Amino acid sequence: MASANRKPTVVHVIGNEVKPFSLRNCNGKDFSLADYRDTKGFILVFTCNHCPFAKLYMQRLNEMNAKYKSLGVPLIAINPMDSNIYEEETLAGMQSWAREKKFNFPYLQDASQDIARMFHATHTPDAFVIWKKGGKWIIRYSGAIDDNGEKPAQAHSFIGLAVDQLLSGKMVSKPETLSFGCAISYRGG
Amino acid sequence: MRKIYCLRLVLVLLAPLTPIHAQYKNLWIPDTISGKTFNLNIRDTFSQLISTGNQTITGGINGKFWGPTLFFQKGDTVHLNVHSFLNDSTTLHWHGMHLPAVMDGGPHQIIPPGTVWQPYWKVNNQAGTFWYHPHLHEMTTEQLIKGIGGFIIVRDSLESTLPLPRKYGVDDLPIVLTSRKYDANNQFITTNTAYGDYMLTNGTPNAQVSLPKQIVRLRLLNAETERGYNLGFSDNRTFYIIGNDGGLLNAPVAVTRVKLLVGERVEILVNLSGDAIGSSIDLKAFNSGQAFGFPGGEPNSTGQFGSLLNNIDFGVLHINVAATTTNPITSIPTVLANNTYWTATDATVSRAISITDGQPGPGNPPFALDHTPFVLSYINKTVDLNAIEKWTVTNNNVFGHTFHIHDVQFKIVARNGNAAAVGAYESGWKDVMSVPVNESVSFVAKFEDYADALHPYMYHCHFSNHEDGGMMGQFTVNNPASVNPVSAKPIDFAIMPNPAMDRLYVQLADQANSVYYLTIVTITGRTVLMLPQPQLAHGIDISFLKPGNYLIQVMDEKTKSLSTRSFIKQ
Repeated sequence: MASANRKPTVVHVIGNEVKPFSLRNCNGKDFSLADYRDTKGFILVFTCNHCPFAKLYMQRLNEMNAKYKSLGVPLIAINPMDSNIYEEETLAGMQSWAREKKFNFPYLQDASQDIARMFHATHTPDAFVIWKKGGKWIIRYSGAIDDNGEKPAQAHSFIGLAVDQLLSGKMVSKPETLSFGCAISYRGG
Repeated sequence: MRKIYCLRLVLVLLAPLTPIHAQYKNLWIPDTISGKTFNLNIRDTFSQLISTGNQTITGGINGKFWGPTLFFQKGDTVHLNVHSFLNDSTTLHWHGMHLPAVMDGGPHQIIPPGTVWQPYWKVNNQAGTFWYHPHLHEMTTEQLIKGIGGFIIVRDSLESTLPLPRKYGVDDLPIVLTSRKYDANNQFITTNTAYGDYMLTNGTPNAQVSLPKQIVRLRLLNAETERGYNLGFSDNRTFYIIGNDGGLLNAPVAVTRVKLLVGERVEILVNLSGDAIGSSIDLKAFNSGQAFGFPGGEPNSTGQFGSLLNNIDFGVLHINVAATTTNPITSIPTVLANNTYWTATDATVSRAISITDGQPGPGNPPFALDHTPFVLSYINKTVDLNAIEKWTVTNNNVFGHTFHIHDVQFKIVARNGNAAAVGAYESGWKDVMSVPVNESVSFVAKFEDYADALHPYMYHCHFSNHEDGGMMGQFTVNNPASVNPVSAKPIDFAIMPNPAMDRLYVQLADQANSVYYLTIVTITGRTVLMLPQPQLAHGIDISFLKPGNYLIQVMDEKTKSLSTRSFIKQ
């Protein structure tokens, strides 16, 4: 049953190492973090098909990838939703969604929810920036994508700020914000 | 004009306004649904509650926040199509309604995401103001704060003949009082908080409404987490209580203040015919200086039990007086209903419940009833069908609470063992009562019409944070005359057509059987349709299902055994 006994607590993950992982991709080659030896960093967004708040960000995900991939920081989207509960979150459902929204980035299925657990992701959308340092992937930002769901023109991008700062060698001034959206129900609580 | 400006300035000094909202916003009046079929679609959505910055995630039924007002006619059988599109499971409880336990929408009638639940019942309640809201264990606070809920207004032939205001949204208004705290992203804070900092009246921050210069009727509901409201008007004028939780009183009760605690409704009449058009008064919460244990009287303005609205007087609705309508009500009726109430001597069974635990401090157990935290599978009490019982709830606890019981309306017969101590303001039929510190409150109710050994009704403190913490119990109403079935053979049935497209028909092999519950489940185990005590003669509407293979599970009324068949939806 989705949601009973869920008391989401914020777990601080800034500075944590992300172990290389592999996930099935619904719209291209399967993703393996270990393949990206020369990439500076990734924007990693946990999102899904059905959540009304995640739906607001579809164009922004394309825009962020278009801007930052060429600067060496590609965006990947990960779907952690349990397709037993939400029937549109199967791989086939994700394929349709990616096609409909014209995703220009990989949309990966976290069927076991292991990757979402590793990041302690709580909502969709829940966004992270991971950065390569000394051969390891380190989490440098966690939280919301920006501060305005319905009005992108008025939004201040927390992801954009973090990536810009990291690209210019600076510290991330706002490494953590509260994510908001639909709660991720983890199997087994 | 100057008078209004000064009033606004005084309000700014006295009470916090929603951030950036220095102006009043027009009160939202919920839409209505009338008739016998009610379609409720529960969705996650969002609303610009704070004027700058992010939208607030809310839960709405057929809309952005809260839900439509349902008009029921006493005697009608109403059919509810509840379709949850929420990300989370939920339930929808028909608060105050007398109906079968399996239709009640309490913690046992869980609606998973994407599922349709179709309860139905005969409206037995007399005319009054009721409500519907989520009741999923440990999630009730969060889902209530999100805004899921709505009013039910029952009409009957007696109330329709009375000279009362009845033009919905014009001189007869539903008013739901709540408050909220917001985080840095403008989202509702739903954990570790008892009281909001900013009012939302019908989901409207800093609400104002135009009411006509005549007698107006306000149906007030407290849908807070914990806060009580000591309601009155800014000029301390007299107003008239005409109804409690369960319906009209026998005669209006004149007051200048009324305490409205969580879950309670009160219907009042207020006379605006002496007010100048263009003038304003405020409905206010006079919450300062209350006795210890009044929820919202704590001195803290921050922290888990703090709030900017604690222990102060603040406005909950700004009323601007406008022109009289045609056919106004211009006098307060002297006679209302003709209720005959239970007395203590009617009761054949007495029960005692204590409010326990909840002492502040780490490691202390949360508030409970009789030291027994709620367990979903444990039935605390068994009541005989048609019993008239007296329940006494005693509070020797650190804080005030409310007590709500499902299924019945009760009559409060004593406070501290004294019948004369029961207030005139609470002398009608009720389903929620205030239990202050160091008080005991007794009520009498009759548990009639519906018996079910399997599905229970709930009783609990209606502070949703206490309820979620386990301050709840459950009872079944049992029919001592019912015979235990000998055979546990599963019910035999056929389904046709198969494959089916729009409607599915269930044919029981033995017409003596009846179906207690029918669910349709996907082959991966996801419930899509919940039909309690289904009426199968006209078939089941499956047009909304996606094509594929499904399982239909039928539970037999007598034995409660399950039988399963599969079918294909084309």
